[in-house]
Amino acid sequence: MVDLIETLSIGCLLIGVLALSLGMIGLLRLPDVYNRLHATTKIGTLGAFGVLLSIMIQEFGTSGLSPMGVKALTAGLFILLTSPISGHMISRAAYKMGVDLCEGSILDEYEGERKD
Amino acid sequence: MKRRLITYMALPLVWCMVSGQITIGNLFLGLIFGVVVAEPFSKLYRLDEVVTPNGYWLAQIPKKIIYFFVLLKEIIKANIMVAKIIIQPKIDIKPGIIKVPIRTKTNIGITAIANTITLTPGTLTVDISDDKTTLFVHAIDATDPQGVRDSIRDDLEKYVLEAFE
Repeated sequence: MVDLIETLSIGCLLIGVLALSLGMIGLLRLPDVYNRLHATTKIGTLGAFGVLLSIMIQEFGTSGLSPMGVKALTAGLFILLTSPISGHMISRAAYKMGVDLCEGSILDEYEGERKD
Repeated sequence: MKRRLITYMALPLVWCMVSGQITIGNLFLGLIFGVVVAEPFSKLYRLDEVVTPNGYWLAQIPKKIIYFFVLLKEIIKANIMVAKIIIQPKIDIKPGIIKVPIRTKTNIGITAIANTITLTPGTLTVDISDDKTTLFVHAIDATDPQGVRDSIRDDLEKYVLEAFE
């Protein structure tokens, strides 16, 4: 039983860390702010969630409803809720500041609606 | 029942979850912090509004659980898709901003659909139109705008409408 918990926990941790490193590579490689936000919001969420899930499995599996596990659960829920909002606010602010879409963008239906 | 009362009952519980233990001291501390934090924003969160709690919210809980699992599935799909793009030797993408009409009317429904769109494959909510009927969505692959609209309407909006409207 303890082995199973260990394995699951380490598996979640590996997935989370792998996702976070991919997100950072994406942040460096993708062309403009909007595409970079794709990498950080989605992959960042799964990465942080995976790490916290690993803590949760470890804590709930070995010591029941411990404070550390509850904290990890709360932090995970907050990240799931706030990470898309920050992505939305950054992209909106970038657009209002006049950051253009990167070369190779084929469509901008927001252009006409933009007023500032 | 005023929204203020519900907020002040909920915030101590949130504080207990953040600190990890439910004790009398934590509940009391949470109440103090809740009042101090929420009172300056009482206009923003419309704390003086009178709301009548009904059973409808409770009846939606199974739908909310389904929505949560759909969301998790979509997040994993989104990560695989973005990871594939990132590890390509040469990044070849055709991004663009697409108008997406939405059917949700309530504020919480719109928030839910916008957040869901951001967490799902290849799309990121940028803004909402003034009349709250259209979202502007940045897609990492905008070669098929109608396909993006259809997939949002059929795969995501259905669950959000059931869970939050």
